[in-house]
Amino acid sequence: MMHPPALAALIDALHALPGVGPKSAARMAYHLLQRDRTGAGRLAASLTAALERLHPCERCNNFSETPVCELCANPRRDPRLLAVVEMPVDLNRLEETHAYPGLYFVLMGRLSPLDGVGPRQIGLDRLLKRAQDGVTEEVILATNFTVEGEATAHYVGELLKARGLAVTRMARGVPAGGELEYVDGLTIAQAYADRRPL
Amino acid sequence: MADRIDAEPAYILHTYPWKETSLIVEAFTAHHGRVSLVARGARRAHSALKAKLLAFQPLWLSWFGKGGLKTLHAAEWQGGALHLSGRALMCGFYISELILKLLPPDDPHEALYRRYEETLAELSAADPQPVLRRFELDLLSELGYAQTLDQTAAGTPVEAGGRYAYTLGVGVSPAAPDAPVYAGGSLLAMAARDFSDPRTLAEAKQLMRALINHYLGDKPLHTRQLLLDLQAL
Ligand SMILES: [Zn+2]
Repeated sequence: MMHPPALAALIDALHALPGVGPKSAARMAYHLLQRDRTGAGRLAASLTAALERLHPCERCNNFSETPVCELCANPRRDPRLLAVVEMPVDLNRLEETHAYPGLYFVLMGRLSPLDGVGPRQIGLDRLLKRAQDGVTEEVILATNFTVEGEATAHYVGELLKARGLAVTRMARGVPAGGELEYVDGLTIAQAYADRRPL
Repeated sequence: MADRIDAEPAYILHTYPWKETSLIVEAFTAHHGRVSLVARGARRAHSALKAKLLAFQPLWLSWFGKGGLKTLHAAEWQGGALHLSGRALMCGFYISELILKLLPPDDPHEALYRRYEETLAELSAADPQPVLRRFELDLLSELGYAQTLDQTAAGTPVEAGGRYAYTLGVGVSPAAPDAPVYAGGSLLAMAARDFSDPRTLAEAKQLMRALINHYLGDKPLHTRQLLLDLQAL
C-alpha cells in the first residue's frame, strides 16, 4: 500500500516504539489523525518540549529539567546510600515503597553480553565518578534478577569494590505474603540458598 | 520426523525480542541440538512463560512445528541447579556464545550437551580457566574443527620433548619459524584433557583462540571482550 509521504513517515516513527509493529503503528497513526487531532497536537507539542527540556541529571543520570534533579537536590535524602537501578521505572518502584532513604544512579540499560552491550555502551564511567564523590558509603545494586541484571550487578560490584566502596545486592527470595505452595521452585531454591540466621 | 516434542531436556542460550510481544528462544537441547523457538506472547507483562525462560537452568521444553522456527508451548524447571553468579555467570555467557555461533542449528550433539551441562556446574568451582579450555577443545573436536593432538598430521606420535606447530585443518606439524610453537608435552596433556600445568594452560589458550577465531570467521565474540575487561579491573 502506498501512503502519502507524511503519513508513511508518521507510521515509521511510531513503529520505532518498543513492541509496536507496522500494523499497530498504522492503527495509531489513523487514530491520531482521524479521531483525536487535539490529542495528536498535544502529543507533538509535549514530545518537542520533552526533547528540548529533559536532559540527564548530572548526579543520577535520570531525566531532569534542571542540571541536578529534585531528588538529588533534596537535603533530606541520605547521601551515604547510592542505589544503582537499570531504568527510571525501577527508581519509581523503589520510591513508591518509601522504604529507601538514599540517592540513586540510573544506568539507562544493562549489560547484555550476548547482544554486544558491554560496559562501554552503558555509562559506567559516570557511575564510577558519581560513587567516588567521597560521601557515598554504600552502593546498593538494585538491577533486575535476570541473567543480564545479575551480570550487570557483578560487573558494577567488582568495579566499585576495586575502588574501596562497600557494595550490597538487593536480596532475593519468597515474596512478601508468599505461600510456599504457590511460589515457583527456582525462587524457593534460591531463598533456601540465601537463608540467614535468626 | 516428529513435529511435536514433549519435555525435552534443554538449556536456554539466549532470548531476544520478536515481533510485538514474542521472544525468540535459542535453546541447546539434549537430543535435537541447537533449536530456535518462538515463545508467543512471552514479552507481555506477567507472562507465565517468560519467568521460566532463564538461562543456565536445566529445563524441560515442549514445542511443535518443523523447519527453522518452531513454537515453544511449555517450559518447566527441572530443579537442582542454582543461579550462576559472579565470574561463573560471565563464563557461562561465553560458553553459550560459543555454542550459538559455532554449532549449526538442528544438529544433534548429545555428548556436547552433557559437556555443556557439566561445564556449567564446574564453572562455579575454583579456577574457570582449565574448565573453559576443556570445553573449547571438546566443542572444537565434536565439530571436527580440532585435529588429534597426540599425533602429527603425518601420523607419527607427538613426543613430549618435541616442539611443534599447529596448521589449521591439517593438525600438528613440525615447528616452523613464523608459527607459534607448542611443546609436545603440552599437546599430549591437551589430548588427555589435563590442563593442570600452567604452560599447558597458556598454550591451550593460544591454540583454542586461533582455532575459534578461524572458525568464527568475521562473527564477533562479544563475551570475550567482557571477560577481558573484567580481568583488567
Ligand atoms: Zn538526579
